[in-house]
This record gives sequence, C-alpha cells and structure tokens, in this order.
Amino acid sequence: MTQHVFAWLDERLDLSGLRAFIAEKTVPKHRHSVWYYMGGITLFLVGVQVATGILLLLYYRPSAGEAYESVQFIVSHVEFGWLIRNLHSWSGNLLILMAFVHLFSTFFLRAYRKPRELTWVTGVLLLFVMMGFGFSGYLLPWNELAFFATKVGTGIAGAVPLVGDFLVRFLRGGDDVTGATLTRFYGIHVAILPAITTVLLGVHLLLIQRQGMSVPPSVEKREKAGETIPQEPFFPNYVLHDVMWWYVALAVLAALALFLPWELGKKADAFASVPAGIRPEWYFLAMFQTLKLIPSHVLGIEGEMLGVMGFNVAAVLLLVMPFLDRRAADGRPNRIVTLAGILAVIYLIVFTIYGYLAA
Amino acid sequence: MATWRLSSVPGLAFAAALCVWAPATPAAAQPAQASGCETCHRAQAQPALAAPARDFGATDVHRDRGFTCVDCHGGNPSETDKTRAKAPATGFKGKPAGQMVIAVCARCHSDAALMRKYAPKQRVDQAVEYATSVHGQQLAKGDTKVATCVSCHGAHGVRLVSDAQSPVYVTNVAATCTTCHADAERMKGYHLPDGSPLPTDQRTKYEKSVHHAAMVQGNDLSAPTCNDCHGNHGAAPPGVGAIANVCGTCHTVFATKFALSTHSQIFDRSCVECHSNHEIAKPTDAMLGTDKAALCADCHSEGDNGHKAATAMRSSIEKLKDAIARSAALVAEAENAGMEMGGQQLALREAGNQLTLARTEMHAFDPKPVEDVLQAGLGITAKVDAEGQAALAEVSYRRTGLAISLGAILLVVVALSLKIRSLK
Repeated sequence: MTQHVFAWLDERLDLSGLRAFIAEKTVPKHRHSVWYYMGGITLFLVGVQVATGILLLLYYRPSAGEAYESVQFIVSHVEFGWLIRNLHSWSGNLLILMAFVHLFSTFFLRAYRKPRELTWVTGVLLLFVMMGFGFSGYLLPWNELAFFATKVGTGIAGAVPLVGDFLVRFLRGGDDVTGATLTRFYGIHVAILPAITTVLLGVHLLLIQRQGMSVPPSVEKREKAGETIPQEPFFPNYVLHDVMWWYVALAVLAALALFLPWELGKKADAFASVPAGIRPEWYFLAMFQTLKLIPSHVLGIEGEMLGVMGFNVAAVLLLVMPFLDRRAADGRPNRIVTLAGILAVIYLIVFTIYGYLAA
Repeated sequence: MATWRLSSVPGLAFAAALCVWAPATPAAAQPAQASGCETCHRAQAQPALAAPARDFGATDVHRDRGFTCVDCHGGNPSETDKTRAKAPATGFKGKPAGQMVIAVCARCHSDAALMRKYAPKQRVDQAVEYATSVHGQQLAKGDTKVATCVSCHGAHGVRLVSDAQSPVYVTNVAATCTTCHADAERMKGYHLPDGSPLPTDQRTKYEKSVHHAAMVQGNDLSAPTCNDCHGNHGAAPPGVGAIANVCGTCHTVFATKFALSTHSQIFDRSCVECHSNHEIAKPTDAMLGTDKAALCADCHSEGDNGHKAATAMRSSIEKLKDAIARSAALVAEAENAGMEMGGQQLALREAGNQLTLARTEMHAFDPKPVEDVLQAGLGITAKVDAEGQAALAEVSYRRTGLAISLGAILLVVVALSLKIRSLK
C-alpha cells in the first residue's frame, strides 16, 4: 500500500532526488552520539505542543470573563480534555528543558563552529521563542498565580533603559495586566510566535539536513588523522532510534499528566491580595532570583536595570558565540568558553533551586 | 456652686455670651502661630500649666485650622503682663469645667454655619445629644465627676476621630470609656436602672467577646465597640425593650426572625438572654438543643413543645454538618487525585450557606422553616457526593488507561530496540 502511494507520487513529482538523499544520508556514530537525540526529542515535543494546542483552541475562550471558565470546562467536561491540557502544560515545560539540554550539549561539543554558525543562531533564537511561548501561555488560564506572576514579569521589562515604559505598555496592552493583556498574549501565543517558530525551525532543520551532523573537535581530529569514523544510515537506523526516544518521552509525558496534573487554582482577581510565594515558571526562576538579590542601587545605577541589562548582554553573547569563539572554528580547545559554559549551568541549577527554596 | 446647664435658660444664655466674646473665626485653615499664652505657659515650671501649651503646640486639630488659646479661654494674648492678659475686660474664662466645657465646645460645634467651613459633613447636635445622655443628665444634676467632651476627646492635642492616635478612634474607644468605667472607686454610688451597682468589668468582658476579636484579630474596624450599642454623645444603657433593635442594627436578619418568635414576647432582655451583653461569645450549635451544654434546657423540660423543637432543630443541623464534612472529604480526595472539583467546591459553599441560613432561621424558634432550609442543603451534598464518587471512578479509569498505554509504549520501544539491533 505504502509502496503504491509512493509510486503514485513518484510518477507525478519525481521523488528520485529525495529517495537518493534518504538512501545516502548517514549519521556519524561515536561516544557522544547520544546528544544528537536531544534535538529530536525537542522537535517531538514541539509537535506535541502544536497538536495539543490546536485541540485546546477548539474550546478555549480568550477573554478575562471566560478564559478561566473555559479551561475549567476543558478539564472537567470535555472528553479527554484533562489529558490534552496536562499534556500541553507538561510538554511545554519538558520542551524548554530539552531545548536547554540540546543547547548546552551543542555548546560543549562546539557544534556551533564553522560552518554551522547559522544553525546555532536559529537554535538560540528558537530557545528564546520557546521561553516566549512559556511566558505568554502561562497567563492564558487566567488564574491568580499566572495573573500576578505576569504582573511581576511584565513589570521587570520596565527596567530596560529608555524603552522600558513602552515595553511594559506594549506587553500589557495598557498600564496594568487586564483582559487586554490576555487577548494580546493569546495572539502572541497562537499566531505570532508560531509564525516565527515555523520560519526559524524550518531554517534550523534545513541547515541540519544540508550540513549534516556536526562531530566533536576530538572526533574530527581523529578523522583528519585518517581514522574512519563509523556511520549509520539515517533511514531507517537513526530514525528508528529517534522514534524510540520519542516513545520514551511520550510515556514520561503521559505519566506526568496523570500523576502530577497541572493545577488550575483560583480565578484571577485584580483586587485580591498577591498570593504568598509568587514566582515565575522554573525557567525564569534563576533570573528572577538574581534580580531579587541585586541591591536596589549598584554604583548609582538602579539594581533591577543593571540585572536586566546583564541578562540582555548574556543573551547576545550566547547568540553570537560562534563568532566569538574563534579557536573552536580552528578546532582548538577554548578553556575560557568551556569554563563559562560550566559556570552558566551551575548558576542556572543553583539559582533555580534557590528560587524554589526561597519562595 | 453654680453649674451651667446647656439645656437650661442660663446655659443657653452663657452660650450666647460666649458667642459675643468669641473672636472672629480664622479665615483660612492655616495653622495658628504660637501666641503669647503659649510662650508664657511653656516656660511654667508646673507641669499642669506647661502641658496644655506643649500639647496644643504639638498636634491639635483646632490649631491646625487656625484656632488659638483665646478661642476657648478668652484673654488677650498680645499682652505680656499676666494680669492684664487675663483681665475681666479681655473675656478671660480660665479653665472651663462642667457645663462650661460643653458650652465652649458647642459654641462652634453646634454652629452649622461655622462647621460647614471646616467639616461640612460633621453633625452639629453633639451638645443636644449629650444633654440626653446619662453623663449629661448627671451633669445637669450637678455631678461634676461625669464625662464631658474633654474627658473623651482631650482638651489640648485634640485629634480627629479618624486619627488612630485619637482616644476616640474606634480601637481606642473601649480603653477611653473604661478609664472611668473600670475605676471601681469612681463608679461607687452609681447604679443601673434596676438598682444594682454599676459594674466595672465591662472592658474585661468585652475583651473576651467575639466583637473585640473581630476588631483586634480580624482588623474589622466596623466591629462594635462601646459607642455602637450605647451611643457616644448620647451614651446610655439601651433600654430593655430596645436591645433587639440595638443588636438588629447589624444583625438585621436575626432580629427579624427573633421578632417572629414567641420568645420575643417572653424574653425580658431579648438577645442578651442567650448571648449576654459585653461578653458575647462566638455562638455555637451547642447552644441549641436539650443536652447539658444547651441553653434551651435552662427553661424547657422534656415533653414540652420548646424541648421538642430544640431537639429537632439541633438534630437537623448536625445532620447537614455531617453531610458537608463527608462531601468535603470526598471532594478533597478527588482533588488530590488530580480531578478538577471547582464546581463541587462551589456547591459545598452553597451547602454551607444553607447551614448558615438554617442557623439564622432558628432564631424564629420554629422547626419547619429550619428543616426546609436544611433539606435544600442535604440535596446539594447528595449531588456533590454522587459527583465525587464519579470523579474517583474516573481517576481509577484513567490509571488503568495509563497502565495499558505505558504497556503498549513499552512493547513498541522493545520492538524498535530489537529492530535496530537486527539492522546492525
């Protein structure tokens, strides 16, 4: 049957090029190969997000008066609505976790070095977009915790010099977090960010297919010395490996969705007092905790502004890393970059845990 | 000794005379500058003479609005010589006492045209009300121990009632009243209308009450204190017949229900018969019924209609309480298992409302309407129970589904793994 369909398409579209590409494409096999699957799992989770997000769209109503009730309806009255909502929430979180793992594995294996600079840049931009998805999606159930966390989160944007006030108003759609913010976040979450993701992800995947998998500098050195690096066919070997990992991810997701369902909490009330222990999602927690620890003024500069600027600088440095690490391009080790990466991982883990304990 | 009675002809004449010597009121609400009186009094060695100038100079609502010493005491503040400053021609009145305090304060505070300039919403009938109070009536009889305006508001350093440091700020009222009323020596010789000695334990009792707890622990500034039941300027014990009305000012529904009951015709002290007055404890269901702790048994004995009604109402209330507790436990169990039970929580709140309503209805002491309300509550808990059981069944179904799915996924993973191995 499959062969008949393929033959029917081949007759009309001439798929010989695609057939040859799949038949010839190989993936290097070495002791770091396992990290290749992190990107695949991340991609799978993006697929889960798209599928569950579309299903949620069928019932979700993006207004301050109806959002909370519609989510309540989804989880209590829609057939398997609880599963779809929990999968969407958990998958969103696992997606960002896997994107971080993918980013750091790529970073430490120096996969960003020439000629894969653009793959890195699109990947880092995708991580930022995913965090944007998390931030905008967090408000959509319109519950108390999300409402106040968004108030704090959007308020931090006010610390950006010169354009801070504009940014806050732009994000909130007014001076405060209201129904207008919800509508705006909804638009960003289901239209603007998906459009950007489609372009970035398309370029990212195209570049990977075009340039093939990067091998670590140590493996490349052995290759240059004349050693043959084992390869495995992309299809079906690598694809089956990938699929196997996807199934594992699906099993983890299903178990999380059932045993740790995402709480809906209380409906947002602008006049209610701020709930105790308010904090953002875990992937913003390290930054949030850092901002809390910075003194109100450092050398005459407002502490929060300094912190926000620091994060912006770090984001830009991360984005342009391939262009800064010239030694990697030449296949030489760069201890400073490795040390910076290790410190970044330690900082993120320690401050995230600290943020949880402090709250 | 002659006493000034505001309600009497000489009292009014005195007030009129004060108006004649009264200096022009300040045109604008500008704080007054230190006068000659203040300069001289501040330098006095005797605390009793120095304190008024110091207090008035620190924080005083009258000073803030441009009033000076002379507005109450008369005299000529521009004179540096004490004798000339206090000469009779200056209208110097010295330290007002008794009725004179009322007259001095009322000169402005009973003048609607004047008060409109400073506090247009403030009442101007305090002096009239005072004349009707026990304080005012005793003063009219010549009893100078009773409270006048300055006893509660202070004389110098007077603060707005809304100022938390004012002695008449809502949270300070009980302490201010009991400055005198908890003083057994001072209260000696005063009696209640029934002839018994005036008690001095009101504050001790009030501080054990639900009203005090609401104000101090619950930060509810609308919770009643002394003046909410006794009045402030017209302070007097509520008459026996008026108690239900006084309590009903806030507890409207209870008062309405109570008015329908046979008890309203029998109870001499209405609400106070069961709830007491100053030491009003948080009411409990244990007060209703016929067991030892219940109040009904104090008058009713087995076999009479009241006894039967009390037993029936208490039994029904306990039934709904048990049902709500059972349903809440079921809903909590389902919630802990990850089910969305917001609707059921809301329904349970409604069942709780029915319980409250039954406790309100009970004040008519008729079991029929109480039973009707409780049945409505039981209907809600029955529905919640059914939904809670369904939610727990759904949890079980989901877990079975997950186990089957995980088994299927595991099989696929094993199959893929074997396939990959065969490809190698």
